[in-house]
Amino acid sequence: MAQLELDKVTKVFDDSSGTIVAVEELDLDIDDGEFVVFVGPSGCGKSTTLRMVSGLETITDGEIRLGGERINEQSPKDRDIAMVFQSYALYPHKTVRGNMAYGLQLSTDLDDQEINRRVEEAADMMGIEDLLDKKPASLSGGQQQRVATGRAIVREPAVFLFDEPLSNLDAKLRKHMRTELARIHSEVGITTIYVTHDQEEAMTMADRIVILNDGRLQQVGTPKEVYYEPNNRFVADFIGSPSMNFLDVKLDRDGTGSGTLVGDEVSYKVSDGMVGNLDDASSDLVLGVRPENIRIEAGAPPEKSIEATVDVVEVIGSDNFIYLDLAGQEFRVRTPSEIEPEEDETVTLTFDEENVHLFDARTGDALVHGRSQASVSAPPEQSDTAAD
Amino acid sequence: MLNPTKRDRALLYAGIIAFALFAVVPYYWILRTSILTNFAAISPDTGFLPLGELTLDPYFAVWADFAFPLYFRNSIIVAFGATLISLFFAIPGAYAFARLDFPGRQALFYTAVFTIMFPWIVLTIPVYEVFYFLNLVNTLPGIVIALSIFVLPQNIWLLQGFFRQGIPENIEEAALIDGHNELTAFMRIVLPLSAPAIGAAALFAFLTAWNNFLWVFVLTSDEGVRTATVAIHYILGSDVLREWNTLMASVVLLVAPPVIFYGLSRRYLGEGLGGSPGG
Repeated sequence: MAQLELDKVTKVFDDSSGTIVAVEELDLDIDDGEFVVFVGPSGCGKSTTLRMVSGLETITDGEIRLGGERINEQSPKDRDIAMVFQSYALYPHKTVRGNMAYGLQLSTDLDDQEINRRVEEAADMMGIEDLLDKKPASLSGGQQQRVATGRAIVREPAVFLFDEPLSNLDAKLRKHMRTELARIHSEVGITTIYVTHDQEEAMTMADRIVILNDGRLQQVGTPKEVYYEPNNRFVADFIGSPSMNFLDVKLDRDGTGSGTLVGDEVSYKVSDGMVGNLDDASSDLVLGVRPENIRIEAGAPPEKSIEATVDVVEVIGSDNFIYLDLAGQEFRVRTPSEIEPEEDETVTLTFDEENVHLFDARTGDALVHGRSQASVSAPPEQSDTAAD
Repeated sequence: MLNPTKRDRALLYAGIIAFALFAVVPYYWILRTSILTNFAAISPDTGFLPLGELTLDPYFAVWADFAFPLYFRNSIIVAFGATLISLFFAIPGAYAFARLDFPGRQALFYTAVFTIMFPWIVLTIPVYEVFYFLNLVNTLPGIVIALSIFVLPQNIWLLQGFFRQGIPENIEEAALIDGHNELTAFMRIVLPLSAPAIGAAALFAFLTAWNNFLWVFVLTSDEGVRTATVAIHYILGSDVLREWNTLMASVVLLVAPPVIFYGLSRRYLGEGLGGSPGG
């Protein structure tokens, strides 16, 4: 019923300071009831895409279809969508009840009784029954956020749009609301697009994550897919915290099928399974490995280990983040809290081949992931810009 | 011996009181003179608090001897007319400057702002020519139009700042999603939220128009379309024995309406100037 399709959607901003391509040929199909999170750094085009779906921004080129019907030219009020803004955008002169009922009063012909029933139902779902007669100014940020979400729920739209709705809340409340929004989505089952710059939020909430950079689609996939099999270096770097370590290496083939990845003060032997998945031309590579996959292990086999000097140890309680110096480059390791090396100590690091990701040094495209031990299928054409 | 904090505080208050007296005494003098007999008003023997010689006669004299009811009527028509007309154009104009991106927006806006700073007196002759050509000299509509035009830029400037900062764009966007189009969102959401700023703009427009001397003086010569502000100039300049008490009484009457208007709109004014929508 509410499948949303984006077909080569492009947005170009033209003003006196020049032309900016905010979104470039974005293709995306969102299934009915799916919770999709758009994530990316500031200016990547995620909010612009959301605003094009809402109708608040015109579409320069391409087509957006909702339930199979083209909605490019429809005004926001005719699109059967509801949106929650980062600033909540509550009407300050109306009560909570007035805010929630307003959309129904304007765009439906429900009678007052029915509107009231729906407002109270949504208020109950959001836990804001006590606030219905208050004005937004007297509410806390968290309460305003609930009202804004309630205002969207009450509309029972075909698509929910969330534009960084939790960014203005403190960390604890943000985590709480995250769970709550996920619960509400599973209750109402409405197709949802959620925009955030917080990859953790994206990972925890999404059915599928859409990663954008510079207006281009980098990868679409489940949280696990984008974490374990990033399409390119940008996705690998963006998803995960602390972010993935990258080392420039070259592949030395030893003639027997296996080989060694060699870089500055780095030498790591890889199996024939991994080498076999690289074509012969690829020699300039980037080795990626996540901090949580690295162990500090004095007795590690020398052909599978790296030596580095400890710079800083950050204790966060459950784990330690260890920042090391490897040939002048920062190298990050996440260890259990009982492993706490001294600063300036040289330690031996090792990691399993299944956690190795290899990227093309020139294009940034992923070539092989250790876990799948299979060559990455041809990346989408958009991704060839990550190294630009 | 006072401790330093108390001493500083005492000095501060003494300074504030001295400054307040300095500021208030001229107003007090106007009030005092307006309720004295003419003789007492010019006599050097009359004290600061001349309790024995008070009279309301000067006020009756203003009303009786000069056509003040007519002047006041004209002032009210002119001030309200200019306020309404300038707001009628300033509200959409300011909104366009604040929200829309159209060619020449900046140039137009700076032109408008420039006219606020431009010395009006330089324009008297061309303005007179234009109004003469349009048969608007010596008419109330002529004065209303002139004052509206000269009040308009300041209103646009004041209101665009409010629209820009006081009303988050997201609120309008929420209204668009809730079922409004651009026009109804403006009328039903933006305008009610702008009431404080529009009140402030109205007050400034009213004050500017009410107090305006130059354009009324330039564009009128008939007593029938004279406003109170200009009428006082004629009382002051009349060749009869100068009656300071009557003059001061007319000044008090002239100042009263704006003060009352301010008092009524004060509740909104602070918010309007603060740039935030009322909660």
